[in-house]
Amino acid sequence: MENLYLAIPLAPLVGSVIAGFFGAQIGRRGAHTVTILGVAVSFVLSLVVLYQHLYQHAPAVNATLYNWMIVGGIQFQVGFLIDNLTVMMMTVVSFVSLMVHIYTIGYMSDDLENWPKDSLAGVNSYQRFFSYIALFTFSMLMLVMSNNFMQLFFGWEAVGLVSYLLIGFWAVRPSAVYANLKAFIVNRVGDFGFMLGIAAVVMYAGSLNYADVFAKAHLMSTETMSLFPGHNWNVVSVICVLLFVGAMGKSAQIPLHVWLPDSMEGPTPISALIHAATMVTAGIFMVARMSPLYELSESALSLVMVTGALTALLMGLVGIVQNDIKRVIAYSTLSQLGYMTVALGASAYSAAVFHLMTHAFFKALLFLAAGSVIIAMHHEQDMRKMGGLKKYLPITYWTSLIGSLALIGFPGFSGFFSKDTIIDVVHHSTTGGHGFAYLCVLSAVFITAFYTFRLFFLVFHGEPRMDAHTKAHLHEPPWVVWLPLIMLAIPSVFIGGFTIGDVLFGNYFGSAIYISPHHEALAELGKHFHGAWAFMQEGFVGPAFYLAMFGVFSAWFIYMKRPEIAGVIKQKFALIDTLLVKKYYVDELYAWLFGGGSRLLGKGLWTFGDVRFIDGLLVNGSAQLVAWFALVTRRLQTGFLYHYAFAMIIGLLMLFGLGLFR
Amino acid sequence: MTITDFLFFVFAGMVIMSALGVVTSKNPVHSIMFLVLTFFCSAAIWLMLEAEFLAIILVLVYVGAVMVLFLFVVMMLDINIVKMRQGFVSYLPVGIAFAVVILAIMVWVVGPASPDVSNTAALHQAVTHGADYSNTKMLGKIIYTDYVLAFEIAAVILLVAIIAAISLTLRRRPGTKHQIPGEQIKVKRDDRLKIISMEAEVKK
Amino acid sequence: MTAEIITMGSLNIVTAMPEIFLLIMACLVLLVDLYLPAEKRQLTYLLAQLSLIITLVLMLMNPVTHTTLAFNEFYIHDPLSQVLKSFILIISFGVFVYSRDYLAQRNIFKGEFYVLGLFAIAGMMLMVSANNMLMLYLGLELLSLCLYALVAYNRDNAKASEAAMKYFILGAIASGMLLYGMSIIYGLTGSLKFTDIATAVATGTNSAQHIGLVFGLVFIVVAIGFKLGAVPFHMWIPDVYHGAPTVVTVFIGSAPKLAGFAMFMRLLVEGLGGLQADWQQMVIVLSVLSMAVGNIVAIAQANLKRMLAYSTISHIGFLLLGIIATTPDGYAAAMFYTISYALMALGGFGMIILMARKGFEAENIADFAGLNQRSPWFAFIMSILMLSMAGVPPTLGFWAKVAVISAVIDVNMVWLAILAVIFSIVGVFYYIRIIKVMYFDEATENTPIECGRDMQLTLSTNGLAILALGLYPAALMALCVSVFK
Repeated sequence: MENLYLAIPLAPLVGSVIAGFFGAQIGRRGAHTVTILGVAVSFVLSLVVLYQHLYQHAPAVNATLYNWMIVGGIQFQVGFLIDNLTVMMMTVVSFVSLMVHIYTIGYMSDDLENWPKDSLAGVNSYQRFFSYIALFTFSMLMLVMSNNFMQLFFGWEAVGLVSYLLIGFWAVRPSAVYANLKAFIVNRVGDFGFMLGIAAVVMYAGSLNYADVFAKAHLMSTETMSLFPGHNWNVVSVICVLLFVGAMGKSAQIPLHVWLPDSMEGPTPISALIHAATMVTAGIFMVARMSPLYELSESALSLVMVTGALTALLMGLVGIVQNDIKRVIAYSTLSQLGYMTVALGASAYSAAVFHLMTHAFFKALLFLAAGSVIIAMHHEQDMRKMGGLKKYLPITYWTSLIGSLALIGFPGFSGFFSKDTIIDVVHHSTTGGHGFAYLCVLSAVFITAFYTFRLFFLVFHGEPRMDAHTKAHLHEPPWVVWLPLIMLAIPSVFIGGFTIGDVLFGNYFGSAIYISPHHEALAELGKHFHGAWAFMQEGFVGPAFYLAMFGVFSAWFIYMKRPEIAGVIKQKFALIDTLLVKKYYVDELYAWLFGGGSRLLGKGLWTFGDVRFIDGLLVNGSAQLVAWFALVTRRLQTGFLYHYAFAMIIGLLMLFGLGLFR
Repeated sequence: MTITDFLFFVFAGMVIMSALGVVTSKNPVHSIMFLVLTFFCSAAIWLMLEAEFLAIILVLVYVGAVMVLFLFVVMMLDINIVKMRQGFVSYLPVGIAFAVVILAIMVWVVGPASPDVSNTAALHQAVTHGADYSNTKMLGKIIYTDYVLAFEIAAVILLVAIIAAISLTLRRRPGTKHQIPGEQIKVKRDDRLKIISMEAEVKK
Repeated sequence: MTAEIITMGSLNIVTAMPEIFLLIMACLVLLVDLYLPAEKRQLTYLLAQLSLIITLVLMLMNPVTHTTLAFNEFYIHDPLSQVLKSFILIISFGVFVYSRDYLAQRNIFKGEFYVLGLFAIAGMMLMVSANNMLMLYLGLELLSLCLYALVAYNRDNAKASEAAMKYFILGAIASGMLLYGMSIIYGLTGSLKFTDIATAVATGTNSAQHIGLVFGLVFIVVAIGFKLGAVPFHMWIPDVYHGAPTVVTVFIGSAPKLAGFAMFMRLLVEGLGGLQADWQQMVIVLSVLSMAVGNIVAIAQANLKRMLAYSTISHIGFLLLGIIATTPDGYAAAMFYTISYALMALGGFGMIILMARKGFEAENIADFAGLNQRSPWFAFIMSILMLSMAGVPPTLGFWAKVAVISAVIDVNMVWLAILAVIFSIVGVFYYIRIIKVMYFDEATENTPIECGRDMQLTLSTNGLAILALGLYPAALMALCVSVFK
């Protein structure tokens, strides 16, 4: 059994290693075959495990495979915790990854054009790309399957690393390098919090193992720690907040959201896989996994909820003014991650994970569809130069429509079930800040619908605005591109209604997620749940539906019916427009405050600390001292035998002194 | 003071004096002669401790064989004494100082100031035996029983010493001229002497 | 106690089978080699390697569920000896592999090298398995005598002869001191056996006797310090490492350290454990001096063999840290360090042998310039070795340093740990310099690395083992800890 589990993450790793190290030997075909095979193996095995857990009700497995080291009583282990939460994540990750792998064959086929002629990095870039995404799949699976904080952290950092490598994949573009550095540095901030959180867990629980930590959670909740004298904080709250800082970085929540839009510099398949479907949801998954801790801290939950609500609303607003097709979807991802975070704050962990799952499918779908458009448009990403693509790209068109409807939560599509539940849960929640959060998520429904269909209309409807050359070459991309679209469209429609009963209101998660009796908003909701069909019917009369419809209508009216209105609104609300276009000046603020500040600090430290003190006094000074000492002691090595013997006699006398005259 | 005590001090004093002579005498041959004397006096002390076998062995092996060989070697080598003694005077004060310090420590540790040391089992009055006691026999017994491993390893060490000495010194130089008796004996007349017939010539 | 009749059974001769076999094989190799024509000398080599392997097998077949004594309690077979001897044999195997091409290239591929080597290994094994002072001394002498001869092995080389002479004379002084110290201990305790000595020391000594014991102890510490190469008894190391043929240097620098560690454990821990408080002070001084002098003087070296010699001295300082802790964990850490160091030294000098060829000794740091262009793989292996010696994770050397430093922290000698860390930072400089030279300097020559497949394979295994053991240190650590349970 454990070998089966082990094979799931290792299969993509093997593929990655082969494609990465022997890419030149096995060629393009070999590279994509071996990695797709690896991911396919993990997908099939994940399905096997899913089947065992769903239909054979296999118990949760918590097994340690390898003891890496024991230091000071803390065990560093590699182990798997396979329960229903893990199984769901494994299936989603491996499925989306498989789709993206197949899609990549089409997307990257003409990758050579993206590199300068004599670029060394362009050699075998295709194979390298496959190696990276397979490595990502391995890391993500290690993350979700972990049963301890160390392995979680390993996966966490490994997916971050791959994300960094892939955002900057086209390393010859300065913007790509800037974006990957930004992602890396912003994530450092989050990871620092995360690491402090893990350190606090080790310090107070004395173990890295989830089971041990959760067992001690109640004990820890009675302890306090004082970071500043006079302020006693609850240990669990501190841990939860610190861990959430990590989640904020990885899942791009305000104020650590700035890296995700820029990450669109990477190739589109990874935007779908890493920056929409899986990696960015690692933070959500982690908080859900830590539910036994979060349930003990009201303040942490409030923080989570408010952060999520702010992200959901504010990032959605920015999405309205973007013109880059991928950036619109990126901001929508931010907004949707905000929804998930709100759900976490409302203790509806299962709703968050449920939305995570549906979002993974329809957002991957939207990204891949956008990628399909980009391929057709010869890597043109500006929506203002598109339009009327419906007749050229029928498959992309229909699958995009499905994705868009799922995203805005049109009743019946899977996004509807998860999103509506979150809105309702927030409504019923008692966590601090729920009123504000409810307002945010509700208004975000309108905004989501608006920007989604703004994109949809601008790209697929209206007059074609591209140049003649591009227009002449418009055609549907090859099957490797549209097949994943269809494969993803299916769960985007059905998975929500099909599973909502079990996942949200049934007992699917069992003991994997713990909800304290005080936070039963979801259970409250469950009392009024009478099947997916009834839920859908109720959806048609809720405020969310009308807001969404109004959003779609507004988008149609402003961008299709009366395109001149857009310009008028822009002029009337120039201030707000600028604010949104500049993304609330957060980037500028960070660049000025942190970028400039740290440069200033760095320069100061460099001139005074480094050049004078460290280089001058410590490094050169001590080096000179050492060199001088070395020279002097080297002289002692005269080569004369009697000097050597004499040294021994001196040593003998020295030891006499030590031994006899103490 | 009994006569044995007196003899002990005489021999012990001679051991020390002749050992000093080994390192201080200017002529290497004298040094070796002093070394012989040192061994001889040590043998005498052992004899007084009823370790007759060891005493005899010391005289036979060291004095009789090793030192004589040593003497040959030293006499055959042309050692430049003056060069070897360079710097002797300048190092002498330091050397003496250290020697004195170490001597002081030794005296302090085992000397009269700490009589308890001599009170331990092994340092008791030397054990005496009857006339029929055979030191040689006892040694022989113990070497081949209790100490068999140490004995064998000592043998191995000697073997290694032989191997090392031979491998470091034995060399077949190309071009050296040495006799091969077998070849010499095998020689035939024809190899050495060639008879040719030639016409007689008359001096004109 | 004198056994009137001795039999195989009463001697328990089977326990010492590995050593007996090895000695027999050494004699056999000597004889076989005598009758072999020069072109068939490979047989000598193979026979020597075969005897090492069989000795190892014989030893591993001998279970160590409990301590076994043999030869009237002269010989001890316990977990400590089992582990150390295994590594001595494995490392010596590596040394022999490295030696073949080197010797052949210099026309000194002779049977004596392997014969003396086998005898030296037997000496080490006897040292490790010594149960009394006499055996320890004899084992040490057997080892040393072989090493003296091996250093002078290339007798036409004046530098080697000079090194051998120095080594021999200083070694004789040290072994004289050891013998003197041992005789004093014997005189005061009345026994040669370690366990009896320990009992005698433990059961009441008055202050004067105690002073006598310490007096003897000092001489023993000097001898051990000399054998290991701790400052100020280290003077022979740079000259001998530098002067000896590199294949002999790799031998002296690797396996005998394990024997030296055993010597320490047997004499000072098992025998004179009661004087722990006394020798601990002395060892602290030796350790600090070794770390300081070794690391600092190594910086000033341009010759790689000399640099590694000083690095050896500094490593000795580190391994003594573990012993200073005087806890089972500390001893285990020291043993872990010794084994790690022996493996690293084997690889490090192995690299020098690899780079050397006929008429050219690659012993200067400059000879490694641009190695990455000539052979990226061996530049990588050398990097692993250097990083490991510097104690950079994830290599074995890192864990070794962590183990000894945490051992001294556990006994509240934080200042010593801080000193150790500072000196290891100083040490990083000269190790990293090699890496810098290999990767960033221009190659002065572009001849490809030429050597046998067996050598390449062994050296690669050697380097990768250090990396692998660094990634999975648990097994080796557990082995070391189990010895001192």
